[in-house]
Amino acid sequence: MPGDERSEKQAAAQQAVDILHEISTILNCHLDRRTLSICISMVENGVNPEALATVVKELRKEGQEAQVESSAAAARRR
Amino acid sequence: MAYLAQLGALADELVASLAAAALDTAEGRKRQAADRESALRGIRFHSFLGTNQFDVEDQLKGFDERFRVIGRESLADALSERLAALDPHRNKWTPDVLRFILELADQPAQKSDLRN
Repeated sequence: MPGDERSEKQAAAQQAVDILHEISTILNCHLDRRTLSICISMVENGVNPEALATVVKELRKEGQEAQVESSAAAARRR
Repeated sequence: MAYLAQLGALADELVASLAAAALDTAEGRKRQAADRESALRGIRFHSFLGTNQFDVEDQLKGFDERFRVIGRESLADALSERLAALDPHRNKWTPDVLRFILELADQPAQKSDLRN
């Protein structure tokens, strides 16, 4: 049945993401499963992996800066 | 066009996952839009070469050896176990995904903790 086939494929894909997530944890990549899953989809859409890794590093930096700024703003309001 | 739309949607998710600014403020929305633009620019315009799957394998072997040399056999075993488990799931994108993971590896020999 096509539905069964699709769910089998989905299960296999989930399993592959789980294994890749475990590898990323062993290599201390600081990636959660959701982020890794998004990145895998991007790579499967032809995005260069090194360019994507550079973008991830930049976004993390941005996220940290935004967090510091919002904490500072919250402290000023108090 | 569909490709760009899909890439844009994925970039939105990536920004939300990694650099989630408070979207309830105009500043937060501006920041998120700028992050999205910068992410899309970064993935579309770059000078990186394609992935060499032999380099990827060499790098993974290198990690295995380094873990064993410094006495972290459990880490080496965990890595080779996962790589063996990945074998039946390999497709044409697997070397690229592993390349991506290797790029983000952060001193695993010193910092990785299997309890995580």
